[in-house]
Amino acid sequence: MRTMLALLSLMVAARVSVVQSQVDYYGRLGVTFSTKLLRDDLIQEIETRQNLAPTLALGVSLPIAPTYTAGLEGTITSAGYYSEEQDLKTDLGTLRTGSLILNLAGPIIPRLDWRAGAGVIHYWPADEQGIFLRGGPTRFLVGAGVDYRSSLLTSLDLMVSLRYDWHRFTTDELEARNFSGSQGVQRLSASVGLSRARP
Amino acid sequence: MKLAWYLPILPILATAGAGLSCADIASPSRSQPYEWRRVVTTGPTTADTLSFHWPRSRLPVRIWTQDTLNLPQHVDYGIAQWKAAFLYREFDALQVADSNAADVIVSAGVALKGGFSVMRLPSRAPECEGGTEIDLPAGSRQIQAPIRVFLNPRFAPGEPGVDECLKLTATHELGHALGIFNHSPDAGDIMYSDPVVAVLSERDRDTAERAYHIVPNLTVSDR
Repeated sequence: MRTMLALLSLMVAARVSVVQSQVDYYGRLGVTFSTKLLRDDLIQEIETRQNLAPTLALGVSLPIAPTYTAGLEGTITSAGYYSEEQDLKTDLGTLRTGSLILNLAGPIIPRLDWRAGAGVIHYWPADEQGIFLRGGPTRFLVGAGVDYRSSLLTSLDLMVSLRYDWHRFTTDELEARNFSGSQGVQRLSASVGLSRARP
Repeated sequence: MKLAWYLPILPILATAGAGLSCADIASPSRSQPYEWRRVVTTGPTTADTLSFHWPRSRLPVRIWTQDTLNLPQHVDYGIAQWKAAFLYREFDALQVADSNAADVIVSAGVALKGGFSVMRLPSRAPECEGGTEIDLPAGSRQIQAPIRVFLNPRFAPGEPGVDECLKLTATHELGHALGIFNHSPDAGDIMYSDPVVAVLSERDRDTAERAYHIVPNLTVSDR
């Protein structure tokens, strides 16, 4: 029995070691552009938008087939948001988002990979007021993008990424005020970072 | 297994495309506002409709409150109620320690100031009364700051209902101070002339939003 357990432990340890050697991880910094969060008609048209947002992305992935990997990518953005009515802009404070996407990735050409997946996005307003009076929403998200990698050091690659994602936005406050439906929000981000060098 | 590289992305793009084709979020009708503007007679057959809201450049509105009868707490409650009525930071207010720097002064007592230029907007809840005095000199289009709000208990402050009455009347009078110059005809609204509810109704909210999205014809003087 002891021998079997020892053998099993060795096998698990060996498997973990193999998996560790295959894990790809990366971190990037960049900016994210978002389309409008809301369009309201109150005498005049009012749009609510987020400013260009500094972005931090962290991800990890594992090979699941000879050329494909499955991964998890988390992204945090933080920027001001505002309403615009005719030419009048009103600063509404700071809005942070956090997204988590399970994705699949594969090669397009050497050094250039595609990535696509689905996950969730959560909004964290700095102040719970206005459209976020009842808190920030969590919404379903789909996204895709490309990653370009270039060898930088023996253990690190330079990674340049473009991402597009899409979700539908509304809040509990907007629903309580009888806004119907939700707003399609598209985000486009560009970022640069480092990833573990590929063997 | 080797798929064409673009195949896994296609479902994502299809989902996004389907989503993009959906209608945008739709605004509510906001069809229930009551008349908030003040109609004043200017001649035998003529009238003028006066409207006001605090300009964004004056926000947050500075409110000084006399420290008696829990008035500061009641005013805080009223400010929170009115701030929550808006989606786009149209209104904001805070309490200040120096009455000399205040845009609105809230005191205990009955409205005292009289005269032609003062627009009085009273309310009479059962256990207390309130009044708002807006100083608009004859022929002028500029309100003279500060706007004065008075809150007065009709019974001893400890009597049942007095504190609650002061709270809802403070919210009602702040409604006048932020630009709702008329009373609602509906008892379910905080701006009903004899207010009995302590929270803003949908009509109160719709009215305040509308008041802050039309161009007013009155301004307010500096302090």
